[in-house]
Amino acid sequence: MAVDRDRVRTPRTVSNDFAAGLRGWLDAGRSLLTGLGITGRTAARTPVTVRYPAEKIRVSPRWRGALRLRGLLGHDEIPLISAEPPGYNAVIDDLYRGERLPPCVGNCPANVDARGQAFLIADDRIPEAYELVRSRNILPGVLGRICHHPCETACRRNYYDEPVAIRPLHRFAYEEYRKVAEERLTPLPVTREQTVAIVGSGPSGLAAAYDLMTLGYAVTMFEREPQPGGALNTGVPTYRLPRDVLYNEVNDLVALGLDLRLSTEVGKDVPLSVLMRDYDAVLLAVGLQESRILPIPGHDADGVVGALELLWAANHRGEAGLRGKRVLVIGGGNVAVDAARCALRMGAADVSLACLEGEDEMPCHPWEIEEALDEGVTALCSLGPKEVLTEGGHVTAMRMQSCTRVFDETGRFAPEFADEFTDVPADVIVFAIGQAAKLDDLLGGTELLVSGRGQLVADGTDFTTSVAGVFACGEVVTGPGSAIVSIATGHEAATSIHRFLEGRPTDDEHRVRRPVPVYARYAKADVAGVERTRLRAVMPMAKPEDRARDFRPVELGLTHLEAMAEASRCLRCQSEVCVGCTFCARTCPDYALQVERVDDPGIRCLTRYDLDLTKCCFCGLCAEQCPTNALTHTGQYELSFYHRDLMTFDKGEMLRDGGGTRATGRDGVLPPSCPTRPHRGGEDR
Amino acid sequence: MSLLWGLLWGLAAVMLIAGGAIIGVWWERKVAGRVQMRYGPQQIGPAGSLQMIADVPKLLFKEDIVPEGADEPLFRYAPLAVFAPAAMSLAVVPFAAGWAPFDSTVGALFFLAVPSISVIGILLSAWASHNTFAALGGLRAAAQMVSYEVPRSLSVLSVIVLAGTLRPTDVMAAWEWWWIPLTFVGFLVFLISSIAEMNRGPFDIPEAESELVAGYFADYSGIRWAVFMMGEYGALIATSLFGAAFFFGGHRLLPGVGGIVAMVVVACAIITVVMWVKWTFPRLRADQLMAFCWKVLTPVALVQLLVAGVVAAWL
Repeated sequence: MAVDRDRVRTPRTVSNDFAAGLRGWLDAGRSLLTGLGITGRTAARTPVTVRYPAEKIRVSPRWRGALRLRGLLGHDEIPLISAEPPGYNAVIDDLYRGERLPPCVGNCPANVDARGQAFLIADDRIPEAYELVRSRNILPGVLGRICHHPCETACRRNYYDEPVAIRPLHRFAYEEYRKVAEERLTPLPVTREQTVAIVGSGPSGLAAAYDLMTLGYAVTMFEREPQPGGALNTGVPTYRLPRDVLYNEVNDLVALGLDLRLSTEVGKDVPLSVLMRDYDAVLLAVGLQESRILPIPGHDADGVVGALELLWAANHRGEAGLRGKRVLVIGGGNVAVDAARCALRMGAADVSLACLEGEDEMPCHPWEIEEALDEGVTALCSLGPKEVLTEGGHVTAMRMQSCTRVFDETGRFAPEFADEFTDVPADVIVFAIGQAAKLDDLLGGTELLVSGRGQLVADGTDFTTSVAGVFACGEVVTGPGSAIVSIATGHEAATSIHRFLEGRPTDDEHRVRRPVPVYARYAKADVAGVERTRLRAVMPMAKPEDRARDFRPVELGLTHLEAMAEASRCLRCQSEVCVGCTFCARTCPDYALQVERVDDPGIRCLTRYDLDLTKCCFCGLCAEQCPTNALTHTGQYELSFYHRDLMTFDKGEMLRDGGGTRATGRDGVLPPSCPTRPHRGGEDR
Repeated sequence: MSLLWGLLWGLAAVMLIAGGAIIGVWWERKVAGRVQMRYGPQQIGPAGSLQMIADVPKLLFKEDIVPEGADEPLFRYAPLAVFAPAAMSLAVVPFAAGWAPFDSTVGALFFLAVPSISVIGILLSAWASHNTFAALGGLRAAAQMVSYEVPRSLSVLSVIVLAGTLRPTDVMAAWEWWWIPLTFVGFLVFLISSIAEMNRGPFDIPEAESELVAGYFADYSGIRWAVFMMGEYGALIATSLFGAAFFFGGHRLLPGVGGIVAMVVVACAIITVVMWVKWTFPRLRADQLMAFCWKVLTPVALVQLLVAGVVAAWL
C-alpha cells in the first residue's frame, strides 16, 4: 500500500525543510554546528566501562549451533533395555542419569521396556516383544488387561495427540505368543544348589520366582487355592481378566521350571517353620486376604459382606444371592467399583456406590468409574457410613452422614462431617474400604514379628523381615496397591534373596536403587484435525447394556495389523533415532526445517530432511521438542560459508559427526553435554 | 639523476601515506569510538595503537580474489591508478620556506588537477569488476568527484588571486595573517568539496559500505582493497597539508623548524575535523549532493573569489 505523502506529518524537530532566505541558511548552519557540538561533547567525555559478569567467559550449557541428527530410522536399531535381574536397576539408573530413559519406562514401577516392545511389534518380532516384557512384567497377558498403565500416562505422545496403546499391545503380544509358546518355553537350567520357597502365587511372588529361576535357583511355590494367581484369581472379576489367560501364563512359568504346589496352605498343611528349615530362603508373598469392615453399629447384621468375599463368590460361584436385591457398596476405590460391577452382573436390582470423597477426588481410576456408571451403577459421593439400620437382624438401610472434607490441608486423611444424615435403603451392604492381612495361621510357631495393627514387620525397600532368610513382598508389605507395583516389589525381593544366598548384605553401596523419575502430567491434547489413522487404536468394547449382564470380557483386543500400526506410533523416546515424527518442522518458528517422510503403518522412513541455516535463528525449540533426542546442536555456530547453497544441510550432512563439518571445519568442538555422575559399577553377580 | 630523485621522493610519499594511513585509521577509530561513547581500539598496544600493525598482515594474507568475467589486468592495477594521484599531489605541498619536493611554477594547478586522475582509476575498477552495481557506483563516484572539482578549484583560486602566483612556495612567501579571516569561507568550501572529492562521509554515497557494499570496489578484497583505502587516506593527508599551507599559512605560523611542526599540527586538526564531520552527519541523498554542489558551494566560492579579487585590486 502506497503511503499518502500528504498525510505524513513530520515533527518540527526532525524536519529538513528550512525557512526560505537567510533565515534558512542560518538555521541550517546552526543545526550543523549543533550536531558537531553534540558529537564533540560526547567525544570529550570518558566512555563508561562496562564490566560483564564472570559467566560471560564460560560456555553456556545451552550451546546453540547448527543441527545434526544422531540416528535414523531404518539405519539404526533402537536399543532394547534388558539386563539380568539384579543389574536391571543399574541400567535404568544409568539411562536416567544420562537423560536417556524413555518416560514410559521411567514411569512404570517395574520399568518394563515399553519402547522396546513397540519397536519389536512394529518389526513383527512379536514373541521377542513378549519375552522382553515378561522379563520385567511377569504376566504380560494379565497386566495387558488389568494394569492401570502409568506408562501411558507418561507417554510423550500425550502431548501431541493420544498415548501409544501400550497395555493393549501387552495383551496382543500375549495372544500372539500363545501360538508359539510351546516351542519357545524350555526349562531354565538350575545352576545353584540353594532352594527358595515362595508362599503365595500372586504377581509379586511370580515375579520373584522368575528372577530367581533366571539366576539358577530351584524355586517352589505354595498356593492355598486350587488355582494359582493370588488376588488376580480371587479378586479380579472375570469380565476384566479371563482366568485362562492367568492360568496359561502361570503354566508357562511352570514350564520354565517352577515347582508350583496348589491347594497347599502354609500354616495349615505345611507349617512355615518347616519351610524355613527345608529351604535356604523363604519369601512371603501372601497379599491381603480379608476385607476390612467398619465397626459401626449393626456391622454384624445379616447382609453386610466384605468386598473380597463378594468378589471371591462372584469369581468362583458366579452367584452370591444378590438377584433382585438392592446393593450398596461402601468405598470409592477400584475394588469398590469392581464389587459394584460384579453385583450388577450377578443380578442385583439396583447398585449404588457411596464414598467419602467428592466426585473429582475418588481414588479409583477415572475410566473404571466411567465404565461402571455406563453400566448403571449409581454413585453417591461425599457420604460417610454412620450406622447400619437393621430390622430383625437383617439390613434394611444405611444411615449416611454428609462429609464436608476428606483430606486436611496437608493432604492427610482426616474426614470432617456435617450434621446431615441420609438413609440409603439397601438389602446388602458391601464394605470395600480396605483390606487386611490374615497372618495368624501362617506365622504360628515362628519368630516373625507382627506389628500392633496386625501387619507383618518388613522392610519397605529391601523386603527383609525380622528373621534372616525370610523375606516378604507384595501387598502384605506395601498395603493395597496395583499389580504392577507388586511385581516391582517382587523383583526387589528377588535381588535381596540373591544377595542373601550369596552371603552378601542385602544393602550396600553396590546395590542400585531404582530411580523414581517424575514426569509431567499431560493435559488432554487437542486432536481436532488429526487424521484417524494417526490416533491411538481404539479397543473394541462390548456395549454397556450387553456387558452388564454377564461376565464375558469387555474389551476385545487388537488385530495383528492394528497392533503393528499402533506400535509404529511409538515415538521411541530418547532412543536418539529419528523416527520422522516431523514435530521439529512443525515447531520451527522460521520454517527452516523441511521434513518429508513415508508414514504408512509399519513403514515409516525419512525421505528428505533439510535444514536451511539461512533461516535458522538458533532458538533450539526443535531439539527440545525432539522426542527421541535424535536432533542435537553441534559445536559450530560461526556461520561462514563460501556459498549460500552450503547453508542448506541435507540428511547426509545432518547425520555427520557433530565435531567437524564442511561449514567451519571446527573439528573436535562438541557441545558440552549434561554432566552425569560417573558410572557406579552396578550390581554384579 | 632527476629520475633517481623522483623515485626517492615517490618512495618517501608512499611511506608517508602508508604510515599516515596506519595512524589515520587508528585515530579515526578512536574518534569514531569516542563520538559513539566507546573507547575504540584498546587491546593491542597502548590505547590500541598497534591495532593496524595487526590488521595489515591480515589484509596481506587475505585471498586475492579476482571475480569471474573481470578484466583481470585492469582489475588488478586499477587500485594503483587511484592511489598514485594521491601520492603525487603531495609533491607540490610547500613544507618549508621556499622548499617543496617539486616546486613547480604551476604547483597549485598541479595540486588541483592531479588528484582528479583518480576518477579514472575509480572508473577503471568499476568497469573491470564486471559487476552492475560496481559500475553504477563508479559512475556516481565520477559524477560526484568531477562536480566538486569546480568549487574546490574556485576556493583555492581566491588565495592564488591574493598571492598573484601559482607557485606554492611563492604563495607561502606572500602569505599574510589577515588572509585567514578573509579566505575562511573559501576554506570551508575547500574542506567540504575535498571531503566530497575523497568520497568520505557524509558525502560517501558512492561507496556507502552498509547500504551499497562499497560501490565501485565491491569486489575487491585483501590488499587491493587496502590500496583503495590508502588512496583515500593519502588524499586526506595531502588535502589537509595543502589546506594548512594555503589557508592557514602553514610553516609561516612559527619561525624556523617550528614552522613545519605547526603545519603538521594544523593538518592533523583538519584531519580530525574531517573525521568528526564524518561520524556526526548522516549521508546525503545523491540529488541533494549535486544540488548542494552547484547551487550552494559554487556560488559561495564565486563570491569568495570576488571578495578576494576586490581586495587584491584595492591593495
